[in-house]
Amino acid sequence: MLLLTAAIVGKNEIITIPLPWFLGDAGFSMLIDPLSRWFLAIIGLVGIPVALFAPGYLLHLQKQVSLGLVWAGLALLMISMAGVVLAANAIFFIVAWELMALSSFFLVASNHEQKESRHASFIYLGATRIGTAFLMGGFLWMHYLTGSWNFSDWGISGFSALGPALLIFIGLATKAGCWPFHLWLPIAHPAAPAPVSALMSGVMIKTAIYAMARLFIIGPHINVPILGKIILILGAISAFWGVIFALLQHDLKRLLAYHSVENIGIIMMGLGISMLGSLFNQPLLIQLGLAAALFHTLNHAIFKSLLFLGAGAIDARTHLRDIEQMGGLIRRMPWTAGAFIVGSAAICALPPLNGFASEWMLYQGFFNLALSAPLLGFRLGGLLLMGILALIGVLAIACFVKAVSIAFLGNPRSPQAEHAKEGNSGMVAAQLFLSLLCLGLGLAVPLLINPLGAITSMTGSPSQLGHVWSIPIAILTLLLIATVGALAAWRFTLVSLKPGRKYNTWDCGFGILGPRTQYTATSFAQPISRIFGSIYHYAVEISTKGRQRRHFPEAVNAETMYEAYLETKLYRPFLSAVQRFAGTFLMRLQAGSIHQYLIYILLVLGLLLWVGVLR
Amino acid sequence: MNNYLLLLFNLINLIFIPLLLMGVIRKVKALMQNRIGSPILQPFYDLAKFLRKSETISQTASWVFLWNPLIGLGVAVIAVLLVPWAGPLLPPSWAPATNFLLIIYLLSLGKFFAMLSAMDTGSAFGGIGASREATISMLAEPALIIGLGALALGNGSTDLLTIFSNPSNPFIAGLVGAALVILALAELSRIPVDDPTTHLELTMVHEAMILENSGPNLALTEYAVALRSCLFFGLAMQTLMHIAPGFYQLELFPRYIISLAGLLGLGALVAVAEGVMVKLKWRSVPNFLAFGTVLSLLAALIAVWPK
Repeated sequence: MLLLTAAIVGKNEIITIPLPWFLGDAGFSMLIDPLSRWFLAIIGLVGIPVALFAPGYLLHLQKQVSLGLVWAGLALLMISMAGVVLAANAIFFIVAWELMALSSFFLVASNHEQKESRHASFIYLGATRIGTAFLMGGFLWMHYLTGSWNFSDWGISGFSALGPALLIFIGLATKAGCWPFHLWLPIAHPAAPAPVSALMSGVMIKTAIYAMARLFIIGPHINVPILGKIILILGAISAFWGVIFALLQHDLKRLLAYHSVENIGIIMMGLGISMLGSLFNQPLLIQLGLAAALFHTLNHAIFKSLLFLGAGAIDARTHLRDIEQMGGLIRRMPWTAGAFIVGSAAICALPPLNGFASEWMLYQGFFNLALSAPLLGFRLGGLLLMGILALIGVLAIACFVKAVSIAFLGNPRSPQAEHAKEGNSGMVAAQLFLSLLCLGLGLAVPLLINPLGAITSMTGSPSQLGHVWSIPIAILTLLLIATVGALAAWRFTLVSLKPGRKYNTWDCGFGILGPRTQYTATSFAQPISRIFGSIYHYAVEISTKGRQRRHFPEAVNAETMYEAYLETKLYRPFLSAVQRFAGTFLMRLQAGSIHQYLIYILLVLGLLLWVGVLR
Repeated sequence: MNNYLLLLFNLINLIFIPLLLMGVIRKVKALMQNRIGSPILQPFYDLAKFLRKSETISQTASWVFLWNPLIGLGVAVIAVLLVPWAGPLLPPSWAPATNFLLIIYLLSLGKFFAMLSAMDTGSAFGGIGASREATISMLAEPALIIGLGALALGNGSTDLLTIFSNPSNPFIAGLVGAALVILALAELSRIPVDDPTTHLELTMVHEAMILENSGPNLALTEYAVALRSCLFFGLAMQTLMHIAPGFYQLELFPRYIISLAGLLGLGALVAVAEGVMVKLKWRSVPNFLAFGTVLSLLAALIAVWPK
């Protein structure tokens, strides 16, 4: 029943008519324009496969979680996300935003009998509270400045807009998981059930991107030049930070969560250069940046939910999340493996998949910045950003080669992995649907230029995207497929003429290799982790045991460790200070005595009366 | 007439030149070591030999291992046809397909499957090779993109065909060309980053990755390497030749001949360098590639400097 609701909600949204319509009084007005339609399409496109996937996945969890709660939460999350992207004024936006935060909190906490899950949901709840506090502060300030709750009246610029803009940005960045507000993301996403992680990582954090585009770029917007630079720089840091921490992770879902930080960074770089474009008065730059950001938002929603569903399928069948325990799954779960490889290639921006198309647009944006910016620093910055994006891309390739090859290839590293079975038809169908979308969106870029152009023309000048996408990707893909096909035909004829033999992997004559002689994820990532070691204090400690330790060790133990300075040096002292304060002082305020509470009520009443009289 | 000529040149480029380049490098390297060395056409014979043999495939390997050489060669063929590494050999209407970002990411697709295939057999040699390949790419590719971006800035287009049909600033061309030579050595797993001839598994990168390949499987892989060598060295040579102001105006035929001569010359030079240099230890590779990055950054600085 709820599955149907979710699916129908998903389907209806894609074909919504672009008419601005209003419900009731100003408190609950909605607005449907090309930008909100774009995000509704994202919600729908991810919603359908999640609804397909969830029944099969939740089977293995039915003892631990209440299925009704999960379905209700999923439906509420879908509806509230739609509410966020449809809201035409700040009040309705906040209501939907809070519904979204609470429903996703319940979903993260659905497996609340596990300690890890409880911990994650509390951190998530804390992060959303802080984010909303900043957001509300910013919205109130904006209301004070403009006298209106409608987003369409919030077109102000100049120094006075700086305060509310920064508050709103911090609120949104917390939700988006942008550095340095990303800490909740790699904790909350792995704890949630996989369909929920797919929705949260694929879609929910994107609502913050929607709000940034809506409030800072499109139509009447809050125009603060410095914000563009801040978003660009934080985006670049997020993207780099996300990917180097992803390389260190062995928990598949946590690795994917760090890649969400990376991709949010890439999207924010697009928004950043778009805002720089309006600073330099370069319409093409504004549109390129915005189009790249929005296109990448769609693409990331598709391939990240695909990857999370793949991780979920493995989790459902093997109860494993640590890739060091997996291996050989490509033979046991062939469809999941194929879909995961497609998703990995897409997130690494490899042509002809969709990730390439949007990252290419972002490259064009940086190139355009290098061509057209009036200041030397920004032109050089444009070229350097191209290099940074390339670095991030190669690191993502390294990370996903690690994830795919350790999880799916080689020999199984644990009995659970050895006895894995393919997921049921709904799970497979959901992953195939998303993989086909990855390929389809990569090939059908010319068809997407129009809806993107409709959004970018809302920045005040007619769409210039028509000439931007020049690569004949469909022809080249056909050419590639034809070449590979011809080579395959030739090769397989050769092989059939002279059949080969199957034999052991080369073992240097020592005897058959076991699962434990395979390369591990830790060793795969070690050379790169060592190069960036100073960022997170990377260290490897090796200890040997036994009497003749040096030459005949009985046991050798190698351990790698890292430390995220942002967590240990900044957030943890702050949080423990808050806890100390709460434990010693705030606790006394809420002592559980009814007399005390009556006094509070009286005091507040008196205060309110006094304030009322003063006015 | 001209179209037939272009087709002919492209076919020669695809079939004859790559293996010839490998042969020249081997021969010069042998001469540097006071050996007579194998005939220049030896790579052709090797390829024929591999194709006649039957394959031995690891029991652990999956479809990724079987399809990797095909995907890798397919990608390399497309890239070699698109990149104007021996002069602009495509009609101008093809310019958008020669976008350098597309080419680099297309080659990354091949690399992605090559690394997966190395891990597919469950061999630790494949693992160490793939891990190092990923590290080297990480060090080389940003510099590659910044360098080509700096070169492209003068023309306002990221299409290689457009870049090489128009004049460039000789300083930028020189710096980027030098950077490309350094980065090509890394991308192609040559000395001083990796030694393509060694068979001590722990020191190798490329050879460790293809340790399990044999027969036609190995032939296709080796051919793809030859194609990629032509592409990278050719691209570096074209960029270096752009230092000469009139080079881009040359007619098709003389430019093609000069480009090929330059390519083989660069190959010989690389072989000489390999004769007098040793492979760097693994931890010094980042320092070597830093030279490439610095050259690219200098080119970028000149490219954005106000005129």
